[in-house]
Parts: sequence; C-alpha cells; structure tokens
Amino acid sequence: MPFLAHGSYRIRYELEGPDDGPAYVLVNGLTQYAELWAGYRTALVARGFRVATFDLLGQGASDKPSLFVSQDDQVTALGLLIDQLGRRPIFLGGISFGGLIALRYAIACSHRLAGLVAMSSFAELSPQLLLLGNALRTGLILGGTSYLQDLLLPMNLSDAWLGPQLANLEAVKRQGWLTNDVYALQNLMESFLDFQPITPQLGAIAVPTMILNGEFDFLTPRSLHESLRLHIPDSALVIIPHAYHAFTLEKAELTADLLARFAEDVLAGKWKGGKSVWIAPDEAGGALVPFPSDQDHLRAIPRATVPT
Amino acid sequence: MIGSLGPLDPIGRIPTRQQTRVAAFLISAHGALARQLAFTLPRQMSASWQTELNAQFYRESEIVSLLVRATSWTVDLEIPMLVASWEVAWLPRPVSGLSDRALASTIDVAALGHAVHGAIRPAALLPDKALAQDPFVMALRRIEFESGRMIQAQILFLKGQDLLPYRDAVNTAVEDRHRQVRDLWGDMLKGIGVERGASGQAVPSTIPRHEPNP
Repeated sequence: MPFLAHGSYRIRYELEGPDDGPAYVLVNGLTQYAELWAGYRTALVARGFRVATFDLLGQGASDKPSLFVSQDDQVTALGLLIDQLGRRPIFLGGISFGGLIALRYAIACSHRLAGLVAMSSFAELSPQLLLLGNALRTGLILGGTSYLQDLLLPMNLSDAWLGPQLANLEAVKRQGWLTNDVYALQNLMESFLDFQPITPQLGAIAVPTMILNGEFDFLTPRSLHESLRLHIPDSALVIIPHAYHAFTLEKAELTADLLARFAEDVLAGKWKGGKSVWIAPDEAGGALVPFPSDQDHLRAIPRATVPT
Repeated sequence: MIGSLGPLDPIGRIPTRQQTRVAAFLISAHGALARQLAFTLPRQMSASWQTELNAQFYRESEIVSLLVRATSWTVDLEIPMLVASWEVAWLPRPVSGLSDRALASTIDVAALGHAVHGAIRPAALLPDKALAQDPFVMALRRIEFESGRMIQAQILFLKGQDLLPYRDAVNTAVEDRHRQVRDLWGDMLKGIGVERGASGQAVPSTIPRHEPNP
C-alpha cells in the first residue's frame, strides 16, 4: 500500500494502468474512500488510462489529522499525487467535496491538467447547502456516523437503488461506518467553517471541463452546477437522467463511460464545450443529446428559456 | 490474526479472555479520564465548556461501571502488569511550548480525552455475527456511541478561540496522545489476536463497496 507524505501525514494512494498514455485522477466525496472507485479503475484502465485514486486526509487509510485539516491541505495532497504521474495528459475528476477540491486544484494548476470533470460539485454554499451541511454536521455530532448515513442514504440515492438494498441496508452502512471516524469526518466538515466562494476564480480554469449533475440531485441542485457552467470558460453541463447526488455509485458504468469519452474527445480535439447543456444517455455507450435550446434546463416544469 | 474479536462461541458471544483484556483497557483509560476530570473541573468553573466536562465526568464513570458489570471476566495473569503500564501512560504530561502549567495540564487532559474517544473504536471490533443482546456487545456499542458525543467537549475546547494562540502546541499535544493511545490499543489487541489496519482501526473483514455520501 503506497503512501505520499504531506508534512507528518501519510496519504494512501493507488496507481493502476499503463505507464504511458493519459491518466485519470479521481477524488473522493466527503465520506468515501479509494476502494469506491474500483469499478472506474477497471473500466478506465481497459480504455488505456492510468488511474490514480487516493484517500483524502481524514479518510480511509490516509492519516486522520486529529484537530485541524484544511481544504488547502487536501489540494496539496492532490497535487502530490498528480506529481507522481509525470508529464502526460492528466484528467481530473471529483465528486461533491472531492469535486470542490478538484476545482480548487484546477484554479491553481490548470496548466497541469488536460481536462476536468466536476461531479455533483459546487463552488459556493447556497443558503440551502449551508443549512443542510450544518444539519448533517449536527447529525454526525449527536448520532454518530451511522445517523449521518441514515440522513444521506435517502437524500443521495434513488428508490430504484435503495429498494433492493432495504433488507441489506445495515450491512451497507456497516462498511462505511467502519471506515469513517467521527472526529475525522467532523474535521472534514469543519473545513467549511471559513469557506469562501471560489466562483469568482473559476475563470482561471483554462481546460475543457465537463460538469455532471444528477437530474434529481437534492443536495447540490442544478443551480450550483449552473454557476460552474457559466463561470468556467470551456465547460459543458451534462445532466444524468434519473440520477441523484451519488450517481457515481448508482450509475458507475455510465459515469465511467462518460469520463472516458470526455477524455478521448479532448485528446482527439473533438471536444466542444462552449458552455453547452447536454442530456446523458440512460446507459453507457448511448448518445448524449443536446438539451432543447428553447427550454429552461434549470426548471422541472417545461418553460421556455428566458433570454439573458 | 484477524481484524475483529472472536472466534465467537456458538451463540455469538466474545471469548472471555478477549472481553477481559478489552474491558480492562477501557476501564483503565476511561477511569483515568474520570479521575483527571475530577481534578480539572474545580479549576474550570468559569469556563463555558465546563457544562460539557461535568457531564463527561459522569459519563466516564458510567462507562467504568458498565464494563465492570457487562464483562464476562476470566483470570488473566498478565492483566496486573498491563494495567500498571497503561496507568503510567495516562499520567499527565507536559505540553511543550506552554509555560502556563494549569492551562497545559487542562490541554493534556483534553488531548487524552480526544484520543481515547476518537482513536478507540471498540464497536468496530465486533464481528457481524456477534450476539446483539449480549451485555458486553451492547456495552462496546454504547461506549463507542457515547465517545462520539463526549469528544465534542474536547473539540470545543481544543479548537476554541482561547487556544488559537497556542494552536501548534495544542495540535502536537493531541497528535502525540492519539499516537500513544493508538499504539497501546493496538498492542493490547495484538495480544488477543486482533490485527490493526494502516489507519489504526481493526481491519474490516470485507472491502467497503457503498458509501452514498457527499
């Protein structure tokens, strides 16, 4: 199990795939760990990518700072991992909290990247997200990791996924509960206490950027992704049908395919961002469809686009 | 060497030797915290977080009492030596970089509390098939759950505005106590055939596959 060193802390990472060719670096969400990308590793390696995954500080097998961990620390850890990949086209993807870390890295080090994928991500805390974050933190404090999971499961996954898991839910929760420590999770959450919006800095992201947003994402709704789309110069927003916040878990095959196709398009010079809006297919390999230009993609009710 | 307690007996109970060692360790650690809090509390009557400390004093005592009653004890000739070494480890330590001895001792108590409540996860040692209604199993679950709440007193204090000028010293003190507690806990577990993972926790028996969180 290899580790990187950030000061006195160790960051556990994994590299898999060919030594030459492009690379994908994947950044975990708040309560996740590198093993959750296993299916992505397999799919992306099969398409010729070298894949790098790691546990953020405070997660999984990386060290868990006891009191303080800042988002800057996480960006530095991500940079250390990217440095391991040498000079090659590097694509960076992150989900939710990991998407924010990826955005911050891309703002600071756009020149190191060939492309960016922000999934269920945000650059600012809307009042809803701020209050939800506070409530989730209180839930963690009062009820522990297990209660936090109870809140997140129905919020972030669809009935279609939850239904078959209902009888097995305690086992599903136990695995995540084992991996996460209350104080370490709390430190990660408290790295938002002095959070300042990074929206004004998004213009510094000079690489093609695909923004993935679940159709029914409750935690980070369309408006937060719209802000990314509008401020990142070479962006495209892709809406994942029937998906919630945790679509990387629920629709792993489709998402891995979208990641690979994005990178392949960028490398082939076929990528067209242009702040466009797309609808992803239901299954891997299907065609992306442009969002109807006469409809408002921010609304659930069909509404004609309001000219700006 | 495996990542959890056991093997379980036919009805799902933890072996008594493992119960004895785990309970002895936890009683030593939480008992030490209760004693140190008893000495610290009178000095902190004006502090806003003394309400939390007062509650914690009683909860630590409750944990000791619970383990005494819920454990199926057995004779373990190594226990006296082990307990002696643990008790020495919990003794107050100086906090480097702080000349205010009263403040330093309060920080050390809080650092030890943070480590005991944060780095020790007794319920994570329980196998899936452990008998849910067994008193020892229930006790470990309760201790871990309560630890997640009790650590809030330490977090409030150690991350509070009052200690911001001493942030590096505080951080070092807490990290040192975490390392110490993790090592002692790991050594104790090793002595009863339980392996630790890289993060200091027991090694999960299955690889996690789902975590639907942000």
